[in-house]
Amino acid sequence: MNVAIMKTKAEQALSEQFERVAAKLPGGAAVAEARREAIGKFTALGLPSRRVEEWKYTDLRNVLKEPLAVGVEDEAKLTVADLIVALGPLAHLDSVRITFVNGRHRRDLSNLDGAEGIEVASLGATLTSAQDKVGSALARTTGPENDAVLALNTAYMTDGAVVRVGDGVTLGKPLLIVNLRAGAEGRFVATRNVISVGKGASATIVEAYVGLPGSTAEGQHNAATELSAGDNAKVTHVKIAADSGKATHLSNWMVGLGAETDYRGFQLTQGTGLARNQIFATYHGEGAKLDVSGLFLGRASEHIDTTLVVDHAVPHCQSRELFKGVLDGEARGIFQGKVIVRPDAQKSDGKQMAQALMLSPDCEFSSKPELEIYADDVVCGHGSTAAELDNDLLFYLRARGIPLAEARSMLIESFAGEALDRIEHEGVREVAAEFARGWLAKLGK
Amino acid sequence: MLEIKNLHVKLAEEDKEIIKGLSLTVPKGEVHAIMGPNGSGKSTLAYVLAGREDYVVTSGDILWNGESILEMEPDERAAKGVFLAFQYPMEVPGVAGLTFLRTATNSIRKKRGQAELTTPEFMKVVKERASKLNIDVEMLKRPVNVGFSGGEKKRSEILQMAMLEPTLCVLDETDSGLDIDALKIVSEGVNALRSPDRAMLVITHYQRLLDHIVPDRVHVLAHGIIQRSGGKELALELEKSGYAEFQGKAA
Ligand SMILES: Nc1ncnc2c1ncn2[C@@H]1O[C@H](COP(=O)(O)OP(=O)(O)OP(=O)(O)O)[C@@H](O)[C@H]1O
Ligand SMILES: [Mg+2]
Repeated sequence: MNVAIMKTKAEQALSEQFERVAAKLPGGAAVAEARREAIGKFTALGLPSRRVEEWKYTDLRNVLKEPLAVGVEDEAKLTVADLIVALGPLAHLDSVRITFVNGRHRRDLSNLDGAEGIEVASLGATLTSAQDKVGSALARTTGPENDAVLALNTAYMTDGAVVRVGDGVTLGKPLLIVNLRAGAEGRFVATRNVISVGKGASATIVEAYVGLPGSTAEGQHNAATELSAGDNAKVTHVKIAADSGKATHLSNWMVGLGAETDYRGFQLTQGTGLARNQIFATYHGEGAKLDVSGLFLGRASEHIDTTLVVDHAVPHCQSRELFKGVLDGEARGIFQGKVIVRPDAQKSDGKQMAQALMLSPDCEFSSKPELEIYADDVVCGHGSTAAELDNDLLFYLRARGIPLAEARSMLIESFAGEALDRIEHEGVREVAAEFARGWLAKLGK
Repeated sequence: MLEIKNLHVKLAEEDKEIIKGLSLTVPKGEVHAIMGPNGSGKSTLAYVLAGREDYVVTSGDILWNGESILEMEPDERAAKGVFLAFQYPMEVPGVAGLTFLRTATNSIRKKRGQAELTTPEFMKVVKERASKLNIDVEMLKRPVNVGFSGGEKKRSEILQMAMLEPTLCVLDETDSGLDIDALKIVSEGVNALRSPDRAMLVITHYQRLLDHIVPDRVHVLAHGIIQRSGGKELALELEKSGYAEFQGKAA
């Protein structure tokens, strides 16, 4: 094929800015080399368009037309009080916290007091001081080879959290990794978290992507998290992307699970103009359990895409996914869920469900479940629904005296609640529910 | 007083008339039973009283306490005292029974100009009324009706009725699915609500219920109209003769 395709302005800007900012990006020679390689890959690939099968519902090339300046510095003058406002319901979560503003670690806004048995460092600082071997390990991901978004992340990542939870350690409080977008100018920001949870350890990790009220509505965050869980580890991993503007949120989770691990991932996405959440999970040891679920809330012309691949590479593992979306206006929701069961992965047990609640005649939901099963002794299933609010149920509630608006919100909340219930950590679940309620309260207003 | 005047009802979705000129009056303080063959329009009548959108009143009127309720939304009717115990109570996933009961109770109290119940007040009342119906409050922490047995659903309907304190109670086959003991308990619950300012319309297939909830009048509904009315002995007669005499007796 190799037809020369005209680069868009955004693609050109993303490729060309590299030389200008390369010197300011953290890391030694090996990291610089990895970045250079990655930007080369991106330049060859371009932004994913609908010609790329995995991106057929989310044509980034077409949507992200405007070039944004790559953010390498943060000049935002912020106080803890500002942070608390931006955190909304998350401010009440009893947690230890590492904060990044516009892709830069902010010690003054972090608070790691009481984090015992856990090492939390800034990726920027780590890359700068690390030896080449460590640096190039951090620059590598287990994500797909030819993912342009991930390549951009490697090329431009400025910071993020490097987290290590020691073997057998049980974290008392959740670790909150805050990414705050602030300022008057929209920028392209790339961050990466590298998290390793030791054998038999137990941790709750929450990533938050929020905007400071009053900041520009524009902006693009390219986030990646590489998480590996050792044998018998128990991990709750939650991402809350709750912005208030038109900003773009591109996220990649790469999750590797050891034997007998219990991994519970959850993603709440609301208030993003365009969101693409990719999740790649691979089992490395037998007997592991994974639950990756999420809630996406879209209104106006928002576009929220969740694309996940769960790879049953070894036998006797269980996977569960429940993604629910509430769509209003002309919002578009996408769920692509692929479950791969490798030839040796007997006794794999996978269940997947995607459901959208369609509140307006103009919203859209596309769901593409895929099962790639190469073993014979497996139980795998998937389902997907898109439905309006149930009129019979509305009638039942109203016949009991509950006014229409309240009856509607009760039903919408209960729909969303089924997804939120997948978050086992009560405090985190309550925070996520509060975000969702805040969003729902503004429906129709 | 409930006055149904020459009511004609068709399905909203298709041009099929179900109620074909039905007239019925239930004075306050009275209990009237409606019996009739399957598919004769009993539930349709009940739904129309409660304001379900799937049905369209093409002519006639329904007055409750002298006021037409036809233009009222279902929740407005509920506030005016109309309550329908569903033949098939719906499951409401994700909405806890207690939340549902409390929201409903307080919505109605607010509309009726009564003070809303605080959580402790509400809990006290629920516990008391649930225990009379032999309902475990633990069950009300679960989503409304989800996973309930047929009989549990019916009892949960009567608990809702007891909480909302309606003045026009329409019970659509509340007895079906109840075991003998539950039938007694539910009937006692219903009888406890009998009062000079309440009217009740009890739809049933079985005379047995009417031994417990003794009606003032019994009406036979077939082919969309009241074919015959009488005292409680009419139910006994129907038990013996069935509905053969009303076959083909369309309006
Ligand atoms: N929503 C609807 N859509 C289509 N047909 C309907 C609908 N509602 C009622 N009908 C039809 O109207 C007729 C009357 O139904 P209805 O449920 O009122 O009967 P019923 O007397 O309550 O019967 P049963 O004793 O079996 O409960 C039936 O033929 C039924 O199929
Ligand atoms: Mg019926």
